[in-house]
Amino acid sequence: MHIDWFVFLAQIFNFLLLMYLLKRFLYGRILKAMDDREAKIVARFAEAEELKVKANDAAELYEKRNQLLNETKEVMLNEATIAADAKRRDLMEKVRLEVDQVKARWQDMLTREQDAFFYDLRQRAAKQLYATARKALSDLADVDLEERIVDEFLRRIQALDEEKSIQMRKAISGGGNRVTIQSAFTLSPPKQALIEEVLKKQITNGFTIRYMREPDIVSGIELRVNGHKVAWSLNEYLETLVESLTETLQKEAHAT
Amino acid sequence: MEIVSLNQISPDQVIIWSWSFIVINATIIYTWLVMAILVVGSWFITRNLSSATNVSRWQHFLEVIISIIRGEISEMTKKGADKYIPLVGTLFLFICVSNVLVVVPGFVAPTSSMTTTAALATCVFIAVPFYGISRNGLFHYVREYFQPNFIFFPFHVMGELSRTLALTVRLFGNIMSHEKVVGILLAVTPFLFPVVMQILGLLIGVIQAYIFAILSMVYIASALSAEDEVHHTETKKEGVSA
Repeated sequence: MHIDWFVFLAQIFNFLLLMYLLKRFLYGRILKAMDDREAKIVARFAEAEELKVKANDAAELYEKRNQLLNETKEVMLNEATIAADAKRRDLMEKVRLEVDQVKARWQDMLTREQDAFFYDLRQRAAKQLYATARKALSDLADVDLEERIVDEFLRRIQALDEEKSIQMRKAISGGGNRVTIQSAFTLSPPKQALIEEVLKKQITNGFTIRYMREPDIVSGIELRVNGHKVAWSLNEYLETLVESLTETLQKEAHAT
Repeated sequence: MEIVSLNQISPDQVIIWSWSFIVINATIIYTWLVMAILVVGSWFITRNLSSATNVSRWQHFLEVIISIIRGEISEMTKKGADKYIPLVGTLFLFICVSNVLVVVPGFVAPTSSMTTTAALATCVFIAVPFYGISRNGLFHYVREYFQPNFIFFPFHVMGELSRTLALTVRLFGNIMSHEKVVGILLAVTPFLFPVVMQILGLLIGVIQAYIFAILSMVYIASALSAEDEVHHTETKKEGVSA
């Protein structure tokens, strides 16, 4: 085969020229673009990796915080529960105390009302009993009630034993030789003289008697001297009545 | 009937213009045409290159080709592939485009001219010692010709020359013969069969471009690796003596 040496050299030159031109317009640019892209991708991957690490750290931190929060929440919840229980107990105690106080006040008031009621009852019952007894005695035995009361009073004075008499005597002398006799009704002078005579005979001489009318002494008479007393009244009977009544009322209250 | 005229045996025979020893024939004209297509196409595609992730299809196309060339070279040289891309890539692209353009009526591949293939093989013949010396130095490169001893020097030289000749003749023979076979078949059996042969010719053209480029790289790589082996042996010897 014939080879034209000029064409041969021209083709070598052409090839070298093509190599240069392609290096300039193709390989250089394409390789640079590819390398740049690769570098960008690597940078992005590195950035992504860094972000992933950061995200993992953040997630871990969040997890820890969450755990801490949960623990704190648990502790706070427990503390709150304990505090609420204590508060509830306090409030319950306070309420119980208040209820007790109210109950005590109510019972106190009830007791007072009861006392007032029984006092009133006693007064009314005494008056009624006194009037009834007086009328019955007057109608049936033609006897005055006041006289019977004074007689009973005198009988009690006469029935005092020696020791009691001595005590009374001492009391009279210690009380400035003054004796007070209170009665629900006015004592007639003969009765006053009779009383004085019995006292002098039974207890001692040398004292002055002061008579006082006292309606609160329920249909009775009493002798008071320096802390000692000899008396008769309807109170004893009324006490029995009140006790019986109270018992009945309590039974009724329990029944309801 | 003359099936193939004498002028058609090689485009070298088609003289366009000549003065004294200066000859402009069809080979040079077609070479310029291929060069123009490659350079203008490359310039056109690469004038607005993007290093972002969204790139044009043509850029993708070129990147794929360059990546394949780079990958093939990397497999042989292990490192510094970009240094050899201009030579090997240009060889592949020039031969491939030349061979593929054969399908264009009236176009004759410059690679069907032995002058062209000889010029390309000569370039490789020069490039092998050029890269070998530039990497390892003249002494190491020349010493390789006397391995394992000086008796092998003529065989090394003959090997260099014969493989250059083999490169030249292989490409020229394949392309030229294909054109002639297609020409003969067109005269003997028209219609379908020549078309199949043309398609086969395209495949052969691309394969030959690949073979030429790969063999060139193999020759260069063998020179480089031989130098490397010498280096490794010397390093080992130094290590043992130390």
